[in-house]
Amino acid sequence: MSKKALLEQPAALPATADGKAAPARRRPRNLWFTFGPFAVFLALFALVAVLRPAFLTGGGMAILAVQAATILLVALGQAMVLHVGSIDLSNAAIVIFAAIVLAQTLGPLGVLAPVVTLAVVALIGAANGFFVAFGQIPSFALTLGTLGILQAASLVISNATTVYATANGQLLAPLFGTALVGLPMAFWVGVVLAVGLWAFLRFTRAGEGMTAVGLNETGALFSGLRTRWFKVVAFALSGLLAGVAGMLVIAQAGAASSFGLGSDLLLPGIAAAIVGGTAITGGITNPINIVFGALTVALVPIGAAAVGVTPQAQSLVYGLVIIAAVALTMGRGHNEVVK
Amino acid sequence: MTNASLAPRTGVDTPALKLTDISKSFGSTHAVKNVSLEVPRHEVVGLIGENGAGKSTLLKILTGLYQPDSGVIEADGRRVKFRRPQDAVAAGIGVVHQEQSLLSNLSVAENIAMNAMSSKDAATRYGFYRWKRLNQEAADILDRVGSTIDPRTKVSDLSFVDRQMVEIARALRVDEAIHAAPLVILDEPTSVLERNETAILEREIRSLREIGSVLFVSHRLDEVLRICDRVVVMRHGEVVADVRREEVTEEDLFRLMIGQESRARVRKGGSAVGAVAAIEAKGLGRKGQFKDVSFAVSPGRSLAIVGAMGSGRESVCRAVFGAEPVDSGALVVAGRPVQGWSMRRAVQHGLAYIPSERKVEGMVGGLSAAENLTLVHPREAAKGPLLRRKARMKAAEEWFEKLDVRPRDPSLPLGRFSGGNQQKVVMAKWLRAAELSVLILDHPLRGLDPGASQTVNDQIRAAQDDGAAVILLPDTLEEALEMADEIIVMRDGDITARFDLSVDSPTSLDLLEKMV
Repeated sequence: MSKKALLEQPAALPATADGKAAPARRRPRNLWFTFGPFAVFLALFALVAVLRPAFLTGGGMAILAVQAATILLVALGQAMVLHVGSIDLSNAAIVIFAAIVLAQTLGPLGVLAPVVTLAVVALIGAANGFFVAFGQIPSFALTLGTLGILQAASLVISNATTVYATANGQLLAPLFGTALVGLPMAFWVGVVLAVGLWAFLRFTRAGEGMTAVGLNETGALFSGLRTRWFKVVAFALSGLLAGVAGMLVIAQAGAASSFGLGSDLLLPGIAAAIVGGTAITGGITNPINIVFGALTVALVPIGAAAVGVTPQAQSLVYGLVIIAAVALTMGRGHNEVVK
Repeated sequence: MTNASLAPRTGVDTPALKLTDISKSFGSTHAVKNVSLEVPRHEVVGLIGENGAGKSTLLKILTGLYQPDSGVIEADGRRVKFRRPQDAVAAGIGVVHQEQSLLSNLSVAENIAMNAMSSKDAATRYGFYRWKRLNQEAADILDRVGSTIDPRTKVSDLSFVDRQMVEIARALRVDEAIHAAPLVILDEPTSVLERNETAILEREIRSLREIGSVLFVSHRLDEVLRICDRVVVMRHGEVVADVRREEVTEEDLFRLMIGQESRARVRKGGSAVGAVAAIEAKGLGRKGQFKDVSFAVSPGRSLAIVGAMGSGRESVCRAVFGAEPVDSGALVVAGRPVQGWSMRRAVQHGLAYIPSERKVEGMVGGLSAAENLTLVHPREAAKGPLLRRKARMKAAEEWFEKLDVRPRDPSLPLGRFSGGNQQKVVMAKWLRAAELSVLILDHPLRGLDPGASQTVNDQIRAAQDDGAAVILLPDTLEEALEMADEIIVMRDGDITARFDLSVDSPTSLDLLEKMV
């Protein structure tokens, strides 16, 4: 007797009904995962447009894209780390570190300066990943430590002053000097990187391996995957993208100061990743949606000002956005576990 | 429900539990359809059915986790509604769940007291434990189930069967607080137990009958026939049979459950012995786990390792796969000694490990079934670093057809499939690889219904026929005798006996003797 005959069942039985029921149950969640971040951005955008009509006419979109570009790069890096189930608290500090290194090397090294800077910060990120994966230090603790180290390093190499990029500034000028469809080139760089990361996660073995690590590291390990190296790659990407964000800082301001120490980027970066649908538990990330996450987060201060929140309370709004977004994501995760 | 304890107990002929026409559907799926059954006092009633037959849903209704769409539940002759799990407890229904729910960092006594209605409980005062009393109560109730565990022991230090006893004691304590004749529901209590431990549990269940009644949910037909007075069979959400033990045979039950005959079980020796062993262990040892373990398995042959809990056989398997370190000895794969062994290297050498902790170690539930299939040896599903998603989906659909995985949609997350179907996909993930040389199976049939078991067994044999060496940790000794060419018996980390089944023909008793 064949197996098939053995388990052949008459029509309209649980198994067949199940087959129909499962996708039906799945759809709403996918819908939110796919379009949620865009919908949130659209809603906030509409709100701002209604409250401040001048925002639309006065080139508000271009300003928004400028603000969003740096946040987007930091958020993409953060998302890659969140994707493997870790967190990178140091990446905003890496942005400032990269900006200072770039400002100081732009004169002597010229075109090579950005390359050197990116290589240095990618290595710093990889080192983070190495200690997390092979030293088995929880990423939260490790990157908190790295954050401190990088802050000190930034202070030392900048002599605790603001560093100006005096020579060769024209190399980075096109990032904000040229525009495409009314938005600065820097923003489009972020969008292209986001699409690239999306394709990386979806179409490559390494990307899928990283997803597996984020969803169930033990399962990935028992399948013979190089789980440790995937983590190193994620942290290296986070460092690299923070380096690109550092380039934007110099391109935009022409100077970097170790006083801010990037703390004004850490919270928005995490917020943008999470508002963009990244699960803080790992394995669920859509880099393209992080573009909308970053736009939303950049829009928050503008929207907050429109409804009368003082600029001093901006961080409060970011904090609330993170908490609300995580609450929403965890709610979805919950349904998975409770059967 | 509040004054249930004060109510007079009804006559002996009133069943402890009576269900009439219980139905429950989820969307268009009828999980439970017009189910009527009775659990009389002082009887053990068996409830059997395939995975997905509706047993779990029925249990959830009985424990107040789900509300039925229609139908009547009567406990002790009174109509009841379970809106919350506490209502079921108040009606004298205690459950021992399939997956153990003890808190392993607390003591036995604390666990037993845990789900009592602690605020009104004598074991606490002002929210603080009265330790003496707590331990005494726990000891009393453990006595009743015939267990000699010290209530102060930490649960993490207990063996599996002892934990099961604690679970039963806990269910009993709750019931007895309210009812003189409690009903205990055991949800597949033996699926994780070794054979000799099962014997202890069976004894306990019989003694439970003296004080109350038992609803016993199981997959193992022989066991159901041994323990139960009556057997209720469910298929596709409906009760298809309600029979007394004397009236049926194992074969009858199988047919009722599946709706078909079971195939004759034929023991078949492995194919030709290859010149070089696919895997050889030479004096493997790991401190506190096992020592001086040696064996060799040739391509196409199978080795079963049997032993009680604590025999160290699981550890041996994990060490061979690189999931646990070894302190001494050597591993030889396909004739070559290996060094710096890890799971990744093991996979590269064509070793496959099907763990008993399927959900955690065997799969990534959030990835689709198709993606899980190519988690190992992804090279075959990729072109360089790029995945070939379409080709993979097609291959996955073929495997789904071949193994009869339901629902037939490899794009669903694997976590959404039922246990048996998950196990089929986990098997397929390793079997599809051309590299497969050694198949290590850690309780491959645990928790599977007979239909899925047959599919999985067929696949193990097919892999063996294709030249894979098999190392099997069976759930039962019968499984070992049926599947293996060679059997090793382990006790406390040592090998105590070896049987070559082409020469010897040991009985289960012979094996058991060397195990304990």
